[in-house]
Amino acid sequence: MNNKNEKNKINISFSKKKLLFITLSFFVIAIFTITAYYDYTPSGLSIKGQVMIGILLMAGILWVTEAIPLAVTGLLIMIMQPLLGIMPAEEVFSSFGNEAVFFLIGAFILASAIEKHGIHKRIALKFLSFFEKTPKLFTFGIMIACACLSFVMPEHGVAALFLPIITSILIAMKIIPKQSNFGKVSMLSVAYGCSIGSLGTLIGGARNPLTIGFLSNLDPPIVVSFFEWMIIAMPVVLISLPLVWIVLQFSFPIKIKDISLAKKEISNQVKKQGRIGQKQITVSIIFVLTLFLWVFFSNYTYFGLAGIALLGGILLFITGSLNWKDVEQRLPWGIILLYGGAVTLGIGILETGAADWIAKAIFTSIGANIYLSILALIIFTILLTNIMSNTGAVALLLPIGLAISTEIAGITPLLASMIIALSGGLAFMLVIATPGNAITYSSGYYSTRDLFKAGFIANIICIAIVFSVAIIYWIGILNL
Amino acid sequence: MFKKILIPVSSEFYTKEILQRGVFLAEKFKSKTDIVYIIEEKTLDQTDKQSDAFRTHYEIEDTKKEIVGTQKQKADNIIFEDARTIYKEKGLTVEDKTAEGQFSTVIKKEIKNNNYDLILMGYNKQCNLNYRLLDDMDIPIWLESEKQGDSILAVCSNLAPNQKVPDLSMKLAKLLNWNLNMLYVIDMQDNVEVDRQGNRSGKKSENDLKDNGINFQKEMKQKNINVEIVKGNLEKQTFKKAKDLGANLVIIGREKKQKGTLGLPVKNIKRKIAGKCKYSILFIN
Repeated sequence: MNNKNEKNKINISFSKKKLLFITLSFFVIAIFTITAYYDYTPSGLSIKGQVMIGILLMAGILWVTEAIPLAVTGLLIMIMQPLLGIMPAEEVFSSFGNEAVFFLIGAFILASAIEKHGIHKRIALKFLSFFEKTPKLFTFGIMIACACLSFVMPEHGVAALFLPIITSILIAMKIIPKQSNFGKVSMLSVAYGCSIGSLGTLIGGARNPLTIGFLSNLDPPIVVSFFEWMIIAMPVVLISLPLVWIVLQFSFPIKIKDISLAKKEISNQVKKQGRIGQKQITVSIIFVLTLFLWVFFSNYTYFGLAGIALLGGILLFITGSLNWKDVEQRLPWGIILLYGGAVTLGIGILETGAADWIAKAIFTSIGANIYLSILALIIFTILLTNIMSNTGAVALLLPIGLAISTEIAGITPLLASMIIALSGGLAFMLVIATPGNAITYSSGYYSTRDLFKAGFIANIICIAIVFSVAIIYWIGILNL
Repeated sequence: MFKKILIPVSSEFYTKEILQRGVFLAEKFKSKTDIVYIIEEKTLDQTDKQSDAFRTHYEIEDTKKEIVGTQKQKADNIIFEDARTIYKEKGLTVEDKTAEGQFSTVIKKEIKNNNYDLILMGYNKQCNLNYRLLDDMDIPIWLESEKQGDSILAVCSNLAPNQKVPDLSMKLAKLLNWNLNMLYVIDMQDNVEVDRQGNRSGKKSENDLKDNGINFQKEMKQKNINVEIVKGNLEKQTFKKAKDLGANLVIIGREKKQKGTLGLPVKNIKRKIAGKCKYSILFIN
């Protein structure tokens, strides 16, 4: 009875906190709307633009505090715009017709099949078995394995997959939680490997399809294919992986030398997997085919990213590898709704001129230097993504980034979007920053202080990496 | 003295020292020891919350099961095995179990259902400890620290009834064969007297408080214990003396401090002491 009362008390106080944030967000939108309609707008900002900034701030408060689920904030953004006279309802809801939405659905269906048949576990164990020479190399193997799997399935799924695998290995090695640097580095390698890997392709993080969705809504639209994304993003992944691994080695020097127990545990787990089955082969073939089509044919107008993703998904049903219940169990509709809200938010901010006004306001104060602007964009995105949902952070910043690109010579919409999208995945410092951090933290092998210590340095290194890649590779070589 | 000891271990914090202290006490007092490994609810909830929009309910539940599974595996293969080995070396046995929930709530439940007479736990801010537990429990709570010394510091003051601390510290010092040092703090920040029932008096003058301290000193002298009287902030004086002595254990009683320097309510005094003291502490209510 007492326990129940205690729990209720906690829930009530928690609800009060949430209510406060919800009230604050509505207060902000009310102030911005009332002042706008009474013509109290700063020079250069339209009435609709001011209301849109109010909606942006409201979304920001709700996404950062998570007073209501992220997806519900997405829905709220969608209804606020027609309600406050910013955009007709038809136009707002048509953003759901975007190709990137169906790409996300298709990609989640494919990931469902991989998870259902345990193919990801097989791949993970195979990868790890290549790195069981020394403890240090093993942690690098964890990072590489997580990153590679995050190229082909959502990063959170990869973190959830690796949690039991790595924990079993650490337990077999009698690694004491929070006291062993090997335990810390192993778990942090999972968290960081997933985050870094998710930058590499359009599948790893939902913010990547969101970015290409934003770009395709521009006038004229900018279309980025699966392969083009990889060409742009991969250098950041390839440079970040070893450097972040080195940061972990310096932050928590590994003292143990023997890896034989890990080797034994991996071989036990491989044995438990048994021989590969018919269904697993079918799913693997369909997945490889889909990947092949994404890489080489996704820029065809009549095929496209979503078409290929859905084709792969349908093939899984036709071959009996997947049923609808599996999809219902594994397709997070919340992210689709969040996506819808984010896209309409971006369109509203751009079309009402709010983004231009914000960009001008920023550059009146800090100047219009291209290098400073790129650096500021990276730092700000990384800070924001560390305190809120990655996708939410990217959704808030993309319209502003796109407006910046119209203000500063040398920064194109594609460049600004890639900077925000990739920096948005680098959430290394806090447990609340990304589900991957929260999942690995639950293992108990590292503390919040450990995460911050390593994450802070890793984030600084990654700021330098994204900045250098942007200047040398994206601007210098690719002419983005 | 301590016939049945409960050692709660948080999934957030584990140190082998706690087992070593546990076996030391079990050997000295011929006690039975139970270890309960607590999978912290807060950690599980955090994972849930983070996964909210990105993963389905089914996947989140799956991950939660995996987390609970791996935590149980960790408890079995590392903590319980360590305990069994350490206790076996001394010819003792230890009972173990796993529970899910909030750290303090699980402890309360265990105390309610079993007749423990000591809670022995490792302390770290990572354990989601509800500090009211330190005041709520009728049985002593021992917070073990890694810092080792060779003496006991028993703290009495104008803010506590000073009944159980002297008796228990004398018994403990005798049984453990540790030096006993007793400190009486006159805390002028909260210049009241706490009686034997734990009731606070009205404000007292410094001389009155000093007289009470001297009376206590005399009372203890008859029991062959020297008491050092100091004036100042209870927490600071405790830390200072513990450091000077290199205390192995600091014993704190039912301190009832309520006001800070500006007359504002201060946070739980035991929380402050637990958070800052680098030595093992025994809280007696």
